[in-house]
Amino acid sequence: MVLRRDDWLDIARKVDWTPRYVEERELFPQEISGRPWLTQDAWRNWNEAYRTTYREYVATQRDKDAAVLGVRAALSKPRLFDDLDPGWVQLVKFHNGAVALVEYAGAVAELRMARFGRDSAWRTMATLGALDEIRHTQIPLLIGHDLLAHDGNFDWTHKAFHTSQWVILAARHLFDDMFLAADAVDLAIQLNFVFETGFTNLQFMAMAAMADRAHHHLFEKTVASIQTDEARHAQIGHPVLRTLLENGSRERAQYLIDKMWWRCWRLFLALSGTAMEYLAPVSARTRSFKEFMTEWVTEQFMKNLAEFDLEKPWFWDLFIEELDYAHHSFQLGLYTYRTTLWFDVAMPDRAEREWLTGKYPQWEQTYGALWDQLERRWEDGGEAGTLAYGLPALCNLCQLPALFIRPGRNTACTLELDGRRYLFCSEPCRWIFQQESSRFADHHSVVDRIVAGQAPGKLTDLHEWMGLQAPVETGKDLRRGLDPWRLDPVPTA
Amino acid sequence: MRVYLFGFASDDFVGRVIVTPDHRTVAQLAGQLVAWGLAPEQGGSLTVRNEAGGILDPAATIAQAGLGNGDIFKVERSR
Repeated sequence: MVLRRDDWLDIARKVDWTPRYVEERELFPQEISGRPWLTQDAWRNWNEAYRTTYREYVATQRDKDAAVLGVRAALSKPRLFDDLDPGWVQLVKFHNGAVALVEYAGAVAELRMARFGRDSAWRTMATLGALDEIRHTQIPLLIGHDLLAHDGNFDWTHKAFHTSQWVILAARHLFDDMFLAADAVDLAIQLNFVFETGFTNLQFMAMAAMADRAHHHLFEKTVASIQTDEARHAQIGHPVLRTLLENGSRERAQYLIDKMWWRCWRLFLALSGTAMEYLAPVSARTRSFKEFMTEWVTEQFMKNLAEFDLEKPWFWDLFIEELDYAHHSFQLGLYTYRTTLWFDVAMPDRAEREWLTGKYPQWEQTYGALWDQLERRWEDGGEAGTLAYGLPALCNLCQLPALFIRPGRNTACTLELDGRRYLFCSEPCRWIFQQESSRFADHHSVVDRIVAGQAPGKLTDLHEWMGLQAPVETGKDLRRGLDPWRLDPVPTA
Repeated sequence: MRVYLFGFASDDFVGRVIVTPDHRTVAQLAGQLVAWGLAPEQGGSLTVRNEAGGILDPAATIAQAGLGNGDIFKVERSR
């Protein structure tokens, strides 16, 4: 007689055994399994809400891959860009470069839990999670490769994470902290509970909704397919958090959540906020970034915190204030430093400015004059007048330019530690740094390296240092492009 | 001595790195910051503050004003 699924699944999920040749502490060292170190008994009730078997996993993933590849096949390669808005193409290029190889790093994180997670069911879920993350790398790489024939910069889908480009350094700093340099417990809270449960909904589901309206059905299918995987393995975070709270680690859990919320917010405003409201065509926009954040991220996060009787992060009021401004300020930074990016950047046109003002009533008053100024500079002196030439101040925690919250309201602050002065864009970044200063203190931002002579200060050399071949590969104004002279041969003596 | 500072102008959107000799005056430092910003032609008088909010004497040198490597200064423009 063949056993039914539910007759054997619990036995298969829970194959923990008592080690006889080594101590449990040696099998699961605290340094990589995580703290607090608890005996296996404490983890015995680790349960995922949605259970799956390997057989079910393979069948489901095969169907999902077939759906994505079916759309890819239907849209023959020469038609991949047909009818796509030029801004949307840049959004995809931005997204691919910033996300594809993070997923591959995510596979390392899942594999760490697959070995050092403290319960068998956790390790099983993480094993499937690792397979997910490999898939999430391979699909964007495949589609990015298809797009190379249309735009060579799509090689940044793979190349970006191998460069010292400043956005990528900021992303790597975050993800190293979140999971590559984290033990199994910390990464379950930081990656699965905060990042995947909270934020990837925004990046993947919101982007999928916009892709549909932008008529980019391959991208829509890809990101929606990825998010269904994320939703499954994200559930690792809940039972890990529950076990921590049941065993006296409330303060530690609250810290990890607060820290990672702020760090994820910083990256998402830079990546998703700017892309959604300055690269996506107006016709594809449904809600504003703020509305997406409120509905898809904040409300869900509040429910999660309430489930565990945890507090809102202490910086919540600042976060709420930033929702109206931070990504708009960041867009000005992207625009004026666009030659240091691998995608083109848009100056909002009249229709977009009206849309932005409709969603953010203070937008025109706060940012209108600055964009007007850039428009006049284009008219008076061409491209050169619209580029920033001085170095921006970079935060020593998030590694992003210190441009928050808005003109006239900056939150930058410093810290003196062991003879070195550190700059932070905000109090939360400084607070995180102070909690784990030995973890962060030795890192040097791009600006630190330039000031110390470890990276070139001359812009043309800096492009090369960041992996950008100028001007062919470097970001341009989305609508105006380059001044024609920029493509002339470089004069020689 | 050459120092690097982080300047924030009230009508700009980003902090900018200023590398300068510290024998220059605070007024010259403020002028350098707004010259690199988006609206250098706007004019108006400039008030310079340190991170704690204290107003710096525009005639003082950067060193006399207590600014050193990695310090923040803020420039407010009044019309």
